[in-house]
This record gives sequence, structure tokens and C-alpha cells, in this order.
Amino acid sequence: MQTQAKVKSVFNIYALSERAITIEFGHVIDEGLLQLVNNFNSLVNLHPFPGFYTTVPAYATLTVFFNPLLVSQSYLPGKGCFEKVAGYLTQLKDKPQGIINTLAETITIPVCYDDDFGPDINAVAGLHNITTQEVINLHSSAVYKVYMIGFVPGFAYLGGMPDLLETPRKSTPRGVVPAGSVGIAGKQTGIYPLETPGGWQIIGRTPFQMFSAMRLQPALLKAGDQVVFKPIDKQEFNRLTAK
Amino acid sequence: MQIRIIKPGMLSTLQDRGRYGYLSQAVPISGCMDGLSARLANLAVGNEDNAAVIEFTYANAEFIAETDILVAYAGDGATLSLAIGDIPAERPVFIPAGTNIKLNNSLLGSRTYLSIAGGWDVPEVLGSRSTYLTAAIGGLQGRQLKAGDILNSMDRLTPIAENILDSLKDDGPNYTNWSLARQLLLPADKKTIRVVLANEAGWFENKSITDFLTTPYTLSLRSNRMGYQLDGAMINRIISDELLSTAVTPGTLQVTGSGSLVLLMADCQTTGGYPRIAQVAAVDLPLCGQLKPGDSIYFKEISRSDAEMLYIEREKQLAKLANAVSKRY
Repeated sequence: MQTQAKVKSVFNIYALSERAITIEFGHVIDEGLLQLVNNFNSLVNLHPFPGFYTTVPAYATLTVFFNPLLVSQSYLPGKGCFEKVAGYLTQLKDKPQGIINTLAETITIPVCYDDDFGPDINAVAGLHNITTQEVINLHSSAVYKVYMIGFVPGFAYLGGMPDLLETPRKSTPRGVVPAGSVGIAGKQTGIYPLETPGGWQIIGRTPFQMFSAMRLQPALLKAGDQVVFKPIDKQEFNRLTAK
Repeated sequence: MQIRIIKPGMLSTLQDRGRYGYLSQAVPISGCMDGLSARLANLAVGNEDNAAVIEFTYANAEFIAETDILVAYAGDGATLSLAIGDIPAERPVFIPAGTNIKLNNSLLGSRTYLSIAGGWDVPEVLGSRSTYLTAAIGGLQGRQLKAGDILNSMDRLTPIAENILDSLKDDGPNYTNWSLARQLLLPADKKTIRVVLANEAGWFENKSITDFLTTPYTLSLRSNRMGYQLDGAMINRIISDELLSTAVTPGTLQVTGSGSLVLLMADCQTTGGYPRIAQVAAVDLPLCGQLKPGDSIYFKEISRSDAEMLYIEREKQLAKLANAVSKRY
């Protein structure tokens, strides 16, 4: 497999449980490592092994879930499940691969930055000594990358936010953050797919449903996708919500 | 077959063996907290072991058989009882229409599983019938059961279930004299949980690892289907690196910023950023699913390959039990 990471990548394999193995590619947030994780994720899903269930990509790791009973009864070489799966994944890494299509998409997400929807937007502007409009311009000017889906179903951690907007989490998390809320935490931004408690600085809300069990792909975003935010006013928000 | 819930108890939800297909979209596995009891309850009525069951939390629940029903229960949260007396667990029970069934307190554990021949008829959502309350999916309309709820069994019974039903059908409640003895599958000491040290175990002081493996930890009141907060000896770090969020799974033991332990359970997040000290052996997760606040447990280290062997062994024992039931009917 081609290494595209600028930082040195590794290929450490460890057992998460009897049913899951994690491959660690590195220890930092880095676009190159993310690419490695996504490429290997596509590779494993294209070439599943007997007993393979699913994968969980994260910043610098890919975790592979399987059914131990099926793995232990499979033709894969090795003494136990761990050796069998680890061996399979290692030879998959070493096999020369063609171009891997990771199926990444660019998705435009409308966001209403009105302070009714973004109760922290004025505080974020104040903290950085810029106007609220500048926060909106900055936040909606970047092209973001989905680093990871985690926390709750469909919650995408987005990297690539302009440095000027870097803001620590709220010292006291909110008990209820409405679904669709767009937040900032440190260098990352993200959208709450469900109404949950949360500590991110909320600067707006999207009318899009980020997660719906009724859809073929329930989560709107997946790791590797690119995201662009498009500012909309309240009228447009209501119109899109009604749709 | 049909029942109506009269009193739902503290938290009653429909669960199966879990939702594995959408972990990459951060949809938790969910499923039964004590998967062993649930599977035995299913096997006892001749079901596939992934059929939906009701997970009752503690007792104080009541339901009525609206039709004749063939059910089984297993678990340590309650004893099922009829007007004529208690029903024994881990075996098929025929109950005629119109009978009231109560869950009476059992001090042993916290959760009880009720299976019905055919499995409970709730729709599959994202490949599973398990209820996940946070996203309001699975089970009965994505929520916990409430008084007045009507639950039906699936129409199609396995041939084994049909035969069990034929053999037990009577004017009054009736059950077999055989049972699937769960105790035979479980270790004698139910308060010692076997663990495999995790990838970041080396991040902690030797003394903390020793404390972890030799001193008791107590389930706090902040414990639910997502995870248990454990009170006990603090775990101190020698490596203070931040862990980049990575996959976690039920049974993962995380160490929080303040040095306390959290044991992740069925509804846990798919990723986490706390360093992990150990992973509970899958065969002992059902024991954890029966713990209640105030219970003290010890952790005992085993090797990864032993944990794997125990897992395969448990699966073989369950396959044998399923085979024994199917041979009999």
C-alpha cells in the first residue's frame, strides 16, 4: 500500500476484544494518516474475510469487528482468532493495490447562524475580537474533512477549521443541545445529529437531518467526506425544515 | 401469541444480540446486557438465539397473557410468578390466556429476560430489533415499555417451538421438568470478573495495575446501559499522553481524567478518548450485566488467548444445549 502520510506511519495491531482487532497507523491527527485509515478501511471492506462484520475508522486507527466462531473455523492460517485476523490484515497491507476508491463525497450543508440557533456565536466572536459576521464568514469559507464519526450516531468530527475560530469547549456542558446544532470544540467543528447533552460552543443550526434510521445510509456524512457550510437565513431554514 | 403490559417496571426494553452493521456511523451495538440469559431464554422455547426478548430491570413489573403463550425467562433481576406460585426459570412455560404474570424481587442481580415462542414481533431497524433509547430506534417504537403496551409474537414458529408448545399445552400453566441450567455455564464466583490487559495498560503506574487487580471496585449509582462508574482505588498515570479517540466496545475499562474507572456496557459509544486499562473477557460480560449499584467486584487478569478459548468454549456449550433441545423435540 502506498504511504501518503507526511508523518511517519506505523502498522501496529492489537486486540480490542475477542471480537475486534485495532490497527494503529499513528498517534496524531494528520490528513495523511486519515487517508491511510480510509484507504485501508475501503480495502478491508472490499476484501472481507470469513466472519468479518464491520469496521470502525477513527483518527489514526481502524478497528475490524468479526465473529470469533466463524474466524476460528475458517481456512485462515494461525493458531487463534487474533493470529488469523492479524495475519490476514498484514498480508492485505503488503499486497500491491491499485487505486483505492474511497467513495468520498463533497457535501454542502446549509447552516443558519442566527443567535436563536447559535447561542454561543456572539461569545465566540467576542473571545476572538471579531464580529459575528466574521465568525460566519470564516466558518463557512473553509472546506472541511470528516475525520471521524463518533460520540452518537452520525456525529461527524470535522477538521480544517480556520485557526482563528479555535475555541475551547464550554466549561459546563449544556444538558440539552438540539438536533442539527453546529458546534466548535478546540480545532474541530461538528454537527449534533440528535438532541443530546453537549459541551461544544454552539454557533448555528442546520435544517438537515444528519442521522435518520429510515435512510439507506443513516448518517449523512462518513469518514473521508468533504463538507462545506452554506449560510442561510431563518426563512430559508424554516423552508428547508418544512420540506 | 399476545401479552399486555400492566406495569412496565423500572426499565423494560426489547433487545436482541445487538446491532453490528452501523458501528462506523457511531450506532452503538446495544442488545442484551446479559446476553447469556437472553440466549438461554430463547433456546428454551426453541427460538433462534437472536430473537427479540424483553429485558426487565429489577422487578415490580406485571403483564397479562391475552392469548395462550409459550414463554421462558432467565436472569437474576426477578422471579416470575402466577397466582398459583412461582414459575421456574430457564425452561419453556405454557401459560393460558387470561393469566396474570408478576415479576417478584430477586436480590441476586438486576436483569431478567423474557422470550416468547417465535420471538417478540417488533420491526428490525438497521439490522436489529434492539432498543437504543438515545436515537429512539429499535424495539417498540424506539422507547421503553409502558403500561397498556400490547406485544405480539412473530407468527412463524420453529418446528421445535411448535413441538414444545404441543407437548405443554394444557388447561392450566404447565412447564417442563428439564431446564437449561445457566449456573453450569457460569463460574462459581460471580463477583470476580476476568479481564485482559488493554493496549494502554502500560500508561499506568505498576502500583495502580496491582490495585486494579487486587482491590474491590463498587458500582456507583451513575450506572446504566451505557456504562458503569466504578468506585475504588484510583488509577494513576505514568504516561500522560492524550489518547486520540479510537474504537471502544462493551467490556472496555476506561480510566477517566480523574483516575476513576468506567466499564462500558451495551449502549456505549463506538469511540472513546480515555486510555484503556483492560477489556472484560466476553464470557464474563453477562456477569457484569447482572450487577447493580453497590455491588463490589474484583478483576482478575487472564491472557488474550485464554479469553479467546473461553469464548469459543462457551459458544460450543450453547450449541450443544441448542442441539439437546432440538433432539428432544
